[in-house]
Amino acid sequence: MTNLSPELLEPRPSAGWRNLAPRWSPKLAVGSALILTITLFGLVGPLLVGDPDRIDNIGLTAPSGGHLLGTTQTGQDVLAQIAYATRGSLYIGVLVGVMATFLSALFGIVGAYIGGVVDEAFSLFSNVMLVIPGLPLVIVISAFVPPEQRGSWTIALVLAITGWAASARVLRAQTLSLRGRDYVLAARVAGERTWRVIGVEILPNLLPLLASQFVFAVIAAILSEAGLSFLGLGASSSSTLGTMLYYAQNGFALQRGAWWWFVPPGLIIALFGCGLALVNFSIDEIINPKLRDLRRRVGAVTRRATDPAPSPGDDAVLTLTGLSVTYQGERPVRAVREVSLTLRRGEILGLAGESGCGKTTLAYAVNRLYRPPAEVTAGSVTFRDRVDGDLDILALTPEELRAFRWSKLSMVFQGAMNALNPVLTIRRQLEDVLTTHRPAMSRKARRARCAELLALVGVDPRRLRSYPHELSGGMRQRVMIAMALLLEPQVVIMDEPTTALDVVVQRGILREIMRLRGELGFAVLFITHDLPLLLEVADRIAIMLDGQIVEYGSAEQVRDQPRHAYTRRLLDSFPSLTGERGAFVRSGGAP
Amino acid sequence: MRYYLRKLAFYLVALWAAVTLNFFIPRMMPGDPVDILMAKLQQRGSGVDPSARRAYELLLGTDSDEPLFRQYLSYLGNLVRGDFGISVSDFPTPVSTVIATSLPWTVALVGIATVLAVLFGITLGVFVGWRRGTWLDSLVPATTVLSAVPYFWLALILVAVLGSALGWFPLLGGYDVVLTPGWNADFLGSALYHGVLPALTIVVSSVGGWLLGTRNMMVSAMAEDYVLTARAKGLREGRVMIWYAARNAVLPSVAGFAISLGFVVAGSIVTEQVFAYPGIGSKLLQAVQNNDYALMQAIFLVITVAVLAANLAVDLLYGIIDPRTRTGG
Amino acid sequence: MTTLEVADLVKDFRIRGGLRRSRLRAVDNVSFTLTPGRTVALVGESGSGKSTIARIIARLERPTSGQVILRGSGGAAVPNRDYRHHVQMVFQDPFASLNPFHTIAHHLARPLRLHGRTRTRAETWSAVVELLERVSLPAGDVAHRRPHELSGGQRQRVAIARALAPGATVLVADEPVSMLDVSIRLGVLNLLASLQRDQDLAVLYITHDLATARHFADDILVLYRGRVVERGPADQVILDPHHPYTKLLAAASPDPAARGRSFDIDPAEVVEAGSAPPYEHR
Repeated sequence: MTNLSPELLEPRPSAGWRNLAPRWSPKLAVGSALILTITLFGLVGPLLVGDPDRIDNIGLTAPSGGHLLGTTQTGQDVLAQIAYATRGSLYIGVLVGVMATFLSALFGIVGAYIGGVVDEAFSLFSNVMLVIPGLPLVIVISAFVPPEQRGSWTIALVLAITGWAASARVLRAQTLSLRGRDYVLAARVAGERTWRVIGVEILPNLLPLLASQFVFAVIAAILSEAGLSFLGLGASSSSTLGTMLYYAQNGFALQRGAWWWFVPPGLIIALFGCGLALVNFSIDEIINPKLRDLRRRVGAVTRRATDPAPSPGDDAVLTLTGLSVTYQGERPVRAVREVSLTLRRGEILGLAGESGCGKTTLAYAVNRLYRPPAEVTAGSVTFRDRVDGDLDILALTPEELRAFRWSKLSMVFQGAMNALNPVLTIRRQLEDVLTTHRPAMSRKARRARCAELLALVGVDPRRLRSYPHELSGGMRQRVMIAMALLLEPQVVIMDEPTTALDVVVQRGILREIMRLRGELGFAVLFITHDLPLLLEVADRIAIMLDGQIVEYGSAEQVRDQPRHAYTRRLLDSFPSLTGERGAFVRSGGAP
Repeated sequence: MRYYLRKLAFYLVALWAAVTLNFFIPRMMPGDPVDILMAKLQQRGSGVDPSARRAYELLLGTDSDEPLFRQYLSYLGNLVRGDFGISVSDFPTPVSTVIATSLPWTVALVGIATVLAVLFGITLGVFVGWRRGTWLDSLVPATTVLSAVPYFWLALILVAVLGSALGWFPLLGGYDVVLTPGWNADFLGSALYHGVLPALTIVVSSVGGWLLGTRNMMVSAMAEDYVLTARAKGLREGRVMIWYAARNAVLPSVAGFAISLGFVVAGSIVTEQVFAYPGIGSKLLQAVQNNDYALMQAIFLVITVAVLAANLAVDLLYGIIDPRTRTGG
Repeated sequence: MTTLEVADLVKDFRIRGGLRRSRLRAVDNVSFTLTPGRTVALVGESGSGKSTIARIIARLERPTSGQVILRGSGGAAVPNRDYRHHVQMVFQDPFASLNPFHTIAHHLARPLRLHGRTRTRAETWSAVVELLERVSLPAGDVAHRRPHELSGGQRQRVAIARALAPGATVLVADEPVSMLDVSIRLGVLNLLASLQRDQDLAVLYITHDLATARHFADDILVLYRGRVVERGPADQVILDPHHPYTKLLAAASPDPAARGRSFDIDPAEVVEAGSAPPYEHR
């Protein structure tokens, strides 16, 4: 292995860029086609057409063989004019785009990376520039510059100076978040110099964003320049789509029905802008993958291969039979494969597994919370209600399902931070459960019930008025538990309910869950990666690996006589606090 | 409280920056605007009034040896008194009067159009985002064409089609000139009627940006855990959409208001010009064309102050709709 | 060999709340020494200041007062510019600690070149291969991949290799396994342990997990709100804790051997009953 030739290991430089390239999509195709065509027209067009300024005595003729787009008031060929004007507009657009992106990178990225006073000052400067309206400022500046001194560069410079601030703000926010990333810190620990950290570690990851800001700056510049020229304040002796429109308007093109003179320049601006915006869509999808197109498969309704099996035993409350969930796509992923589990009334069933094993997908399948492209492909979920008898969950109508959720089966999610809506008070979030499911309840009774539940989980009822961010992680999770118990459900699914919390807080929450289960008698499907915790709290445990249940038995069985090799490996992975070292190697040489 | 104080302080700084910029721009630029103005005044048959010259000099710079700092202080003093000199293009009306008569038109036009665009854009964006994956997605790229159309071009096309060809709306002006401005039904009706096309231009051009921004935030918000929780709670679709997804999705749109407003103001100046609307944008261009520097400078300041005030109002609103700004940093 | 002395370390953070500014003491007078061939574990919960200490030692943060002194084999302090040769860090989240833009080889080649360990390209590559093999990764397969193509465990091995690249003698491992799947944690810890033995490294192991701290480290320091409340040999601190906070942590840690432990008793109450100062828990 050591004598691998350097060539073999040499990284292919293109690979990193490939990750940044936008995914091919119809939007990108149309967008690039528009941009390419118009750019090509601007570059090559002027070479092919005649003199745009040649005056002829056939003023304002409609498009014909001789003049494909007709002529202007003074008989100039419109097509020739457009070719030159497109070139002029593109020139200004790219010029401003480059300058504005440079300025925004300077103030956004450098400020954010250096931090401290520099950042404060740069950020204040950008924000001030952002709120001072750009075009009026440009107009004022242009007005003071005598027309003979108003060249393309002057106009471009003024547009760049008034147009960089918004993207500086975006870049700053992104750089702030990148600056604290571990790989940037790691580069600093490795001893890299500041400019190298910015240039090599941060900048490549900002490229999609920079590209998007550049595209945005080009659109804005072409539009602003057109507006400026239309007002007669553009660069003197320049020929852009804006000046063309200015002459068309002053020649009363529209009033005299000469649409061929007025419409095409505007259309080119619009199409070019549209092309850039479409490309920007694809760039945005790199920055935020959530925005990618999502095609809802038509007719992707839940199919059931098996009829719901009768619940084994009278004490079962939730029975999964042969349940399979698949993420549909080019290569379907079978996340859950033929899982059969039974949750008995009042028990805690632990479901343990590692990331990606399908445990969360399984939890969401139980009350059909999965979203496309996930889909139940086989199996059944049966809920034995205390009153209504067996319910076939996968066959419920949307309205039945909605009424079923939370009133009979509720959930506690992992994200102590994110499971609560940040902009609504705790009271609103507790109460909307009651207003939806118990419409007959009076306002007073609702309030009393919410307060009662908070007190039950050990949170001061005065906290009803608080917003989630005002509570600690442990308190938020208690609020979630209170919310889950509001309607006295028969089953609560808990997905990693204590994972993000410190051990002592975790212990308190677990105590609360055990006590409440004793008092209220609900059953729990407890999902976690933490097997030792399950061994302590669960009655029975199922171990999940690659979508399948590989071990299923009482907690004692799983601990003392694990049947599957994976279970044994998991058990060995947790060193005992007080027991022997097991497979652990002590690092130090000391005894 | 801290949030509000910080915002207020920021806008004071921005205001000071704009005022100072306004003071320095004419002094840094080539040419001698004061002389041009005085020449124009003389053309109009007005004697060289030293006080008028003084006002112009404070605004635009002077040849005299007066220290810059003294000029700056006097300039600030004049601003506070609202003394911007005499407009030469509307001779002999004081600049402040010109602004006072034209500002309400613009504020009403831009205000109403912006509110409409925001409401339409956000509502559509929420809906399109919520129904993600359906045919509505194809609507999104279409809106980009609208945002990329130059305002004035769209305005002129609208005039040509809806005004000239179909005759549905008047071509020019802010009201029927046979009426005298006042608070009566005829006049207000006429003003509204004349405002339709300019407002339509602004709404059509700016609604796409709001739609797209809100839609993207909506898509992000829908992936959040709290929306999942809301679904698991068995809440009705409408409640999940509005109180969980949309309520969070609009926050960034509101926070980004400053950027959008900049575009709207820019667009409305050009739009007013196209419609010969009696607003401040038309006055600004009239001032530019006539070298009426005093009016131009004053209008720039007024527009800036109005934009700052609108942004401040939106920031204060943001403080109300996002509880996280109220506590902590 | 080098030792690292941490002496009277204090770190204050300014927090802006309302109109007043207040200070939060994140690290309060902490001292300890890292010696070659030994592992010291810093144990504490979130907000105990353990990560701040790691960042100060890695020179990502400046202490408010106190010193971090690196001494060479002769006992003389190592000059500042050589500090990073010796002290390296392994971060908690292997998904965040490698730059998605660069290849694995780049991540290892940079520190090698930066610290002058290798000169020519061929030398660098053979050193990269050697480093990857040291952390039990198939070099030919992994070197030109990008982080997102590797599993969490593989990434953390790359991160360890990167820390070793400059020839580090002091390694700060900030929760190196807490983001990994449980079944591979042991493998990564055992790798760290064997590397340490082979190269006589001084290791600071930062964790919230008492059990791994006990088995992995020689000495344990228990941190509570920036202060060391208990210190001593690992087994002694865990099996016979003296400070009530250590007792509380031990009582709250899940323990597979403790099935059937009653949940009726609040560990905090047990501890408080033992006449301890009150400990606030959020």
